[in-house]
Amino acid sequence: MMDRRKFLGLGLAAVALAPMTVSALDFRKEKPDAWKAEKPADAIKALYGDIKPEEKGVTIKAPELAENGGKIPVFVRSDIEAKSVALFQDANPRAAVAAWTVPEGGIVDFGITMKMKGSGSITAIVEGKDGKFYSKVLKIEVSKGGCGG
Amino acid sequence: MKVKAKEKDGIVKVKVLAKHQNIGPEEGEKKKKEANFITSVIAKVGDAVVYDLSGSGFMSKNPLFKFKFKGKKGDELEVTWTDLKAETKTKKVKIK
Repeated sequence: MMDRRKFLGLGLAAVALAPMTVSALDFRKEKPDAWKAEKPADAIKALYGDIKPEEKGVTIKAPELAENGGKIPVFVRSDIEAKSVALFQDANPRAAVAAWTVPEGGIVDFGITMKMKGSGSITAIVEGKDGKFYSKVLKIEVSKGGCGG
Repeated sequence: MKVKAKEKDGIVKVKVLAKHQNIGPEEGEKKKKEANFITSVIAKVGDAVVYDLSGSGFMSKNPLFKFKFKGKKGDELEVTWTDLKAETKTKKVKIK
């Protein structure tokens, strides 16, 4: 079990060390709570506020059965004109995996390799330029957990 | 870091393979290693940012990033990752 104080300390260290970047919005620096939340719903709230995303317009491509939870290839795709995209899962100690700022006219087709401790759901949120939010949830089975498990 | 960028019909497909242990806090405790992971990956053509990711310890070891953007052959793509300890690596490639 992780010591809460130590955990928070690590979070603070992460914030303190977060370097300056040229990005429009540095999610790690400006939304530190989103990276600490254990559940996807809490992480989404910390990142975007109290939103009610529509379940459409977003695709997640991932293996239905991942043999190795240490390296799961996941794609998030959408044709929606987006401002940002965020990826979460509910199998690890914390929910947030990655977040992208979409440049003007950018294409939402992001591939990433992620770790999952066991079977669970992957959630993708797309923040549209229209101010609305769109989501997709995909359940996947993991036969051998990542995170050194 | 390995970067490949290839243009077809005005769309540049990019693959970035970052060499990084990418260890989250819990995993670090288990493995008795210090937690350190990629916190950001940014790709630019000139001054224009074409890719901007904020990462976590739940990306895999030696993570692979794929993305697409509107661009053209011959331009230079510059990819930089930064980790929790503020170490950075940059790689420049010509778009093929």
